[in-house]
Amino acid sequence: MTVDRTKLATERVIGVAALVVAVLAPTLFSAFWLNSILTQALILGIGAASLIFLSAYGGMISLAQTGLMGIAGYALANMVTQRVPGGETKGLLLGWDPTVGLVAAILLTVGIGLVFGAVASRSYGIYFLMLTLTYTVIAFLFVGSVTLIGGFSPVAGVDTYTPGFIGDIVTDRERLYYITLITAVFVYLLVRYLVRTPFGVSLQGIRDEPVRMASLGYNVALHRTIAFGIGAFIAALAGVLSAWWFGQLSPTTMGLDATIQMLVIAVIGGLRRIEGAWLGAIAFLMINNEITNRIPSSGLPVIGGTFNTVIGFIFLAIVIVSPDGLMGLWDRMWDALRRRGGPPHAEPEGGEPAAVASS
Amino acid sequence: MKVGKWKLLLPLALLAVGATIGTSGALATPAQANEVRFAIMTDCKGAFAFGYEVDTAGTIAALSQYAGAKPKNKKKPSAGMTGGSAGGKRLNLVGIGCGDETPALALKETRRLMVQLRADIMLGPLSGDEAVSIAQWARQNPAKTVIIGTAGSQDPTMQIAPKNLFRYHGDGAQWNAGLGEIVYKRLGWRTAALIGDDYSFPWTSAAGIIADFCGIGGRITKRVWTPPAGGDYAPFIRQLPRPNQVDGYFWLVGGANTSAALTAFEQAYGPLNARQHSGNLFLYFLGANTTVAPRLVGAYMGGFGTFQTGGLKNAQARNYVRNASRWFTGQNVNDGFFYNYWNAAWAMVQGLNKSKGAVGPALQRALPRSLKPGFQVANKGVLRLDSRRQAIQDQYPLQITRASGEGTVSTSIVGYVPNVDQTFGGYFGPNKPAPGRNYPPCVKRKLPWQGKIKVVKNGVITNQVIK
Repeated sequence: MTVDRTKLATERVIGVAALVVAVLAPTLFSAFWLNSILTQALILGIGAASLIFLSAYGGMISLAQTGLMGIAGYALANMVTQRVPGGETKGLLLGWDPTVGLVAAILLTVGIGLVFGAVASRSYGIYFLMLTLTYTVIAFLFVGSVTLIGGFSPVAGVDTYTPGFIGDIVTDRERLYYITLITAVFVYLLVRYLVRTPFGVSLQGIRDEPVRMASLGYNVALHRTIAFGIGAFIAALAGVLSAWWFGQLSPTTMGLDATIQMLVIAVIGGLRRIEGAWLGAIAFLMINNEITNRIPSSGLPVIGGTFNTVIGFIFLAIVIVSPDGLMGLWDRMWDALRRRGGPPHAEPEGGEPAAVASS
Repeated sequence: MKVGKWKLLLPLALLAVGATIGTSGALATPAQANEVRFAIMTDCKGAFAFGYEVDTAGTIAALSQYAGAKPKNKKKPSAGMTGGSAGGKRLNLVGIGCGDETPALALKETRRLMVQLRADIMLGPLSGDEAVSIAQWARQNPAKTVIIGTAGSQDPTMQIAPKNLFRYHGDGAQWNAGLGEIVYKRLGWRTAALIGDDYSFPWTSAAGIIADFCGIGGRITKRVWTPPAGGDYAPFIRQLPRPNQVDGYFWLVGGANTSAALTAFEQAYGPLNARQHSGNLFLYFLGANTTVAPRLVGAYMGGFGTFQTGGLKNAQARNYVRNASRWFTGQNVNDGFFYNYWNAAWAMVQGLNKSKGAVGPALQRALPRSLKPGFQVANKGVLRLDSRRQAIQDQYPLQITRASGEGTVSTSIVGYVPNVDQTFGGYFGPNKPAPGRNYPPCVKRKLPWQGKIKVVKNGVITNQVIK
């Protein structure tokens, strides 16, 4: 068996094992871990997957994904919550049917994503990055400034208005976990499928050689716009799940800190492989949780600072040691094995994404 | 590219160690039966970061006074406490939450404290939107008990009001009772503009001013709201009417940003005239300010229902100050942050003693519906909770005075408004909207204390009323 085949087989075994552990998680882990680490990691992973999809296969590092997640969450929250005694106090409180609200929130986000994508489709590199950051800032300021839809105070009670097929996720948090797990698997398979379709292949061509692809007759801007719309769809799923998980929406969930956090997750996991989204998310949350509980309130000894300092060091270390994140580290390990006498390298299926720096 | 072995092995080893440590807390461990687990929720970041030590000090001091606890470090409250029991059970402070006044972080920290660290009781939070967020969380977790630390938004005990949430101090509106009437009568204001942070506490705070000022016949001509994160206030100051277009301004710009906002006002409209400015407890934050604060000497302001400095001269207040001052060095026990967490912790001890250490609904039934805190005068010094577990408290409008330090200011108490209830005599209510940018409207209305605010001179409540 070649090194590449062994690697593929190993990855499949790890993937299946991870899925088995994920399915059995409610019996293996404490309630806090299930709800606050694993469920949140799956949600953040879906959000990061939307970023990595655009980055790895479209060559577009988007900072709009947290903004799009927030738009989906706010849309859902405003549509489904209603005014009842002892109930919610902020937002439009439209009281729509939760299923209608869910579909409408996702469609609205995809629509906005397509518009965002169309505007940004002819921008590249740092200009694309800044443009997408602007989208998130606009979304943040919009929901913060328009108190009719929330303002800076939280829009609450989103988790109590779920569609019938979702059921009660307030008292049954395992249910939310499994819904999130199914969505994460769906997103993973969707991305794996998409990158093998003619659209996905041409998108990767545009990622590597946009001018050549345009001269071959491909509509580069349209491809990039559609890809951005798909990214918005994935972000919308994460946004809706996040709204259910939090139960409340406030602008900080889509602020600059949250945007940087999403980018850090993607970088820790690895911007070149979709699996890195969930790996980065769980690593990020574990680090966060451990540091919050273990570091004294006065900060780290000698240097001071708390979570942001530590995550900053880790981020720096990862960028230096393995610019492709934890998944890149994994790939390097196999490269090292290959160099020790294995047969020549074979391209993995789906096409190897180009280095992010080249985008 | 050649990859050094260390670049591969070191990260892998670190990953393995990290994952082991990280997952070590994943499996649930049972709580001990002979202990009560509780947590403090406060802020350690943002505009109220100072509250971390002050709030913790108030809590631990009360537990030291009433439950036999002892501070670990008299100069550093966040070091925690040793000992302490109530209802026959050991008090276990499982953690101190670190918020930044945003609802998202408050909720996250609440889950960490109450679920991961398995606290049954939480004392906190500090800020208004945090309390809205945590009240919603409490509604979904009836077995947990929340005693608000010192947050002043109206919603938690008015529109949301879960049965497991208690507040032994006033909300932002209550903390401004009487202020509008004082500037109306003493300074002759008839029109005013207000400017505040754009979130639930300043909205509630403004609601109290509006109710009072408009209730007696004043008119609010402009309401300007600024993003809570602070920043450049100039564009918002420019939205205010000019000083010759209104009689005065009410300031509700938060925490450490107060002086920045006032400085921006000076840059736009010239030096401050103390007779034209009033505000809520945020003006406390001018205490050490040497730039604009001296020009506000003489201005009237709301408060916490405490005195900050220059306290009331009665036995109950003196007793509180003496007891509270014993436990930490360098703490101002008159400060509302300290005082409110003290009362919350004291109520917890009383509740646990009555419930014999039981938590959950048993504790919620046992928590006191009245308290005899340091700064309550009415009802023979007894503060009562209403049916939504919200304090009906006395309020003391203040005036900014010159302090001993050069250019710094202090406050003195000028009025006494007894028994301020959260509804303002029916002006607010559980079936009415929570305060917002444009709510409540400015309407003339008789409030319970209108025309009855007593003058306080040198810390003594007189029989004179404010004229």
